[in-house]
Order: sequence, then C-alpha cells, then structure tokens
Amino acid sequence: MVPWPVQGGLLLLAFLAPFALLMLAFPAFLRYLTRISFVSEDAHKKPPSKVPEPAGPLLFVSILVGELIVAAGYGSAVPLAVITGAGIAFAVGLADDIYVLGGKTKPLLLLLAGLGFVAFVALTPDLYRPVLTFPLLGDTSPHFIIYTALAIIAFPVVTNAFNMMDAFNGEISWFTLLTSLALTVGAVLHEFATSAFSVARVASVLPLVAVSAGFLLYNRYPARAFDGDSGSLMFGAMFAGLAISCGVEVAAMIAIVPAILNSFYTLSSVRGFVERRKMSSRPTFIGEDGLLHASTEKAAPNTLVRLVLLASPLSEKDLVKSIVALVAVACAFSVAISFLTWVF
Amino acid sequence: MKLLPLFFIELVAFLLIIAETYVFFIFVVPLGPIPHTLTEYTSFALLNVVLILALGGVWFLVLDELTNLYVRSRIGSSPRPSS
Repeated sequence: MVPWPVQGGLLLLAFLAPFALLMLAFPAFLRYLTRISFVSEDAHKKPPSKVPEPAGPLLFVSILVGELIVAAGYGSAVPLAVITGAGIAFAVGLADDIYVLGGKTKPLLLLLAGLGFVAFVALTPDLYRPVLTFPLLGDTSPHFIIYTALAIIAFPVVTNAFNMMDAFNGEISWFTLLTSLALTVGAVLHEFATSAFSVARVASVLPLVAVSAGFLLYNRYPARAFDGDSGSLMFGAMFAGLAISCGVEVAAMIAIVPAILNSFYTLSSVRGFVERRKMSSRPTFIGEDGLLHASTEKAAPNTLVRLVLLASPLSEKDLVKSIVALVAVACAFSVAISFLTWVF
Repeated sequence: MKLLPLFFIELVAFLLIIAETYVFFIFVVPLGPIPHTLTEYTSFALLNVVLILALGGVWFLVLDELTNLYVRSRIGSSPRPSS
C-alpha cells in the first residue's frame, strides 16, 4: 500500500510530467515536422495556411511517460493495458497519416486496439468488472463474454467518433479535454464510493487530461499544430480504455454523445464507412463572406458541423465555440449521471 | 438559442442510450432459461443478437427522423446558395 502523501505526489506527477514534456518538446517537434515537409493545408482559411501535422507521435510519447509513471508508482498493470490499446490505435493512425488507409480497413485494424487492451485481463483479472452500473438502479448482473466483446467493439467505435471530431481548429483538443475531465469526475466519485477501487485508475486518467490541455494551446484557433489521425485515434482509444477500466462506461458514453451523433449522421447519410477524403459531396463550404456555410445539396453528408451551420453561417472560431457548447452540455449530463450513480 | 434544436436532439440521444443500455443488460441478456444444449444456447444467442439489432434500429430510426426533420425545417426556412 502506497502511503497517502506519496499517492498525492504521484497524482500530481501523473499530470505535470506529461504536460511539462509536451510543452518543452512541442516547439522543437513542430520545427522538425516543418523541416521534413510534414505540413497540411488548413483548408478552412482563405488563403489556406500550412500547419505542421501529425503531432500525434509527441502526444503519444507524453501520455506514455505519464502512464509509465502511474504504473511504476502504484505498481498497477491497468495503465499498461490502457496505453497498449492506445499505442495500437496510435500505430494505425500513424499508418493512416502516412499512407491513408481505406474507410473499412481502419475500423477493422482498430479492433486490434480493443484486443490488445482486453488481453491484459490475463495479467490483471480485475482490469474491468463485466457489469454496467446505472444511476439509482445499481449494477447489472456480470456477463464476462458479452461485456468483453462489447469492450473490444467499443475501441473502433470510440476512436472513429474522436477521429470525426477532428476537422476544425481546436475541435479535437477541446473535445478530448472536456470529455476527459468528465471522465475524471466519474473516476474520482467511483473511487470514493467503492472501497476496493484503486487510486491508480484515477491517476491513469490524468495524463490524458494533461496532454489534451497542453495540445489545446497549440491546436486552438489559429492552429499551430494538427494531431493527425495518430493523435485523434490515440485519444479515442485512451478514452475507451480508461472508461472501461475505471468502470464509468455509462457516464463516458453520455459525455461523447455529440461525437456519437456526428458518426451516426455521417454513417446514416453516406450509408456506410467512407473515408472522409473520398466523400463525393462536401457538407460545408467557405462562402464569399469568408464564413463557413452548410451545403444545401441533397447528397451532402449530414455531419454535426453541417447541422450547426444550417442554423446560421459562422466563422471557424464561432463554429468551434458552438460545438464546444454541445460537448459541454453532454459533459454536464455525464457529471450528473456520475453523481446519480456513485453519490445518491 | 439557435442551437436549441440540437440540444434537444442530444437530450433524446442521451435518454435513448441510457434506456436502451438498461433494457439490453437487464432484460435482453438474461432472457430465457439457462441453456443446456448447443441448440438452446445458439437459439438464445441469436435471439439476443436480433433484439440488440432491434434496439439499435429504434435508436437509429428515432435519431434519423429527428435529424431529417431539423434539416428540412432549416433548409426550408432559410434558402441559401449551395456550394
């Protein structure tokens, strides 16, 4: 048993170490990406500017350092399981950043992230409890096989949902920061409500909060860095692994409702998995006024962004503000669900 | 205020997720007696899959209908040039 003052120090270190590493290394890493011509057009600017991409490798290394500190400090394998799933998703994303994978290949490969995560059950049987805990109603009965199958499927679903929230300056960083904060509240409340629960699980959420907060400083409008698919898929896999291992699946699902809706809109309007670069019609366009408009074409896919812009054309900055408002409301629902589940 | 319909759609999605996950784990998964033979096991597994798909279908249809309603009302009320 780690003494409480040491546990407090470890919690602080789990947040500060990845944050400090990211902040110190970011300028040099962006210069390096620019030097090797890893830059992308910021398509929503007139004229388009060039932004270094992908920052995913540095984001992953920063989170990895945080999770290794938690694993070593608390002697827990849970952070290793989470970072394994995230590492596989990061590798798939990096392959997509460099070679561009097909719309169906990516979700299939991302199942490996789920498999990598659940394989740790052999090492840590208490990696997750195969139950869902509902507000006011309590636990369902345990169903190991069904829960494990759903946990594996959750990885491609959640990672793709995160990936699709990565279209505008600051969108993915705000989204990851807010949802990981909601996840932290759920994990902390679960920790206080359950005597058998380990503080290592709460600590393992902190590197995600730290790195998304640090990344926001570079990714917010006007963006100085893009994470690439390596970053967004890794964020999604971290979120899925942490939600499962912390036992806050219901609250986590609620926090990412805007991303689930975004994926659903796209899937339902284009009728299947289509790589966004290969969509025949764009959901939005930049008007002569410099504002983003929703396309009124019938064939245009229904993304969350298009639905927001249907209300009125917006600048990129205001559009992201609207999406952040939708995410913030979902996170408030999530926190309410956590309180109803673990406090009342 | 302009985002109010989207907040409403978000609320519906949220309530449906909670309700359907609850129905799935409380009613669908433990459905039927404990299977003793492979045929019984397979039948209940298939029944579970069909019911899961039905729950997913309900979520899909409700959200699809709400979204289409929103898109039609917006495009109808404020026509603007397409891209």
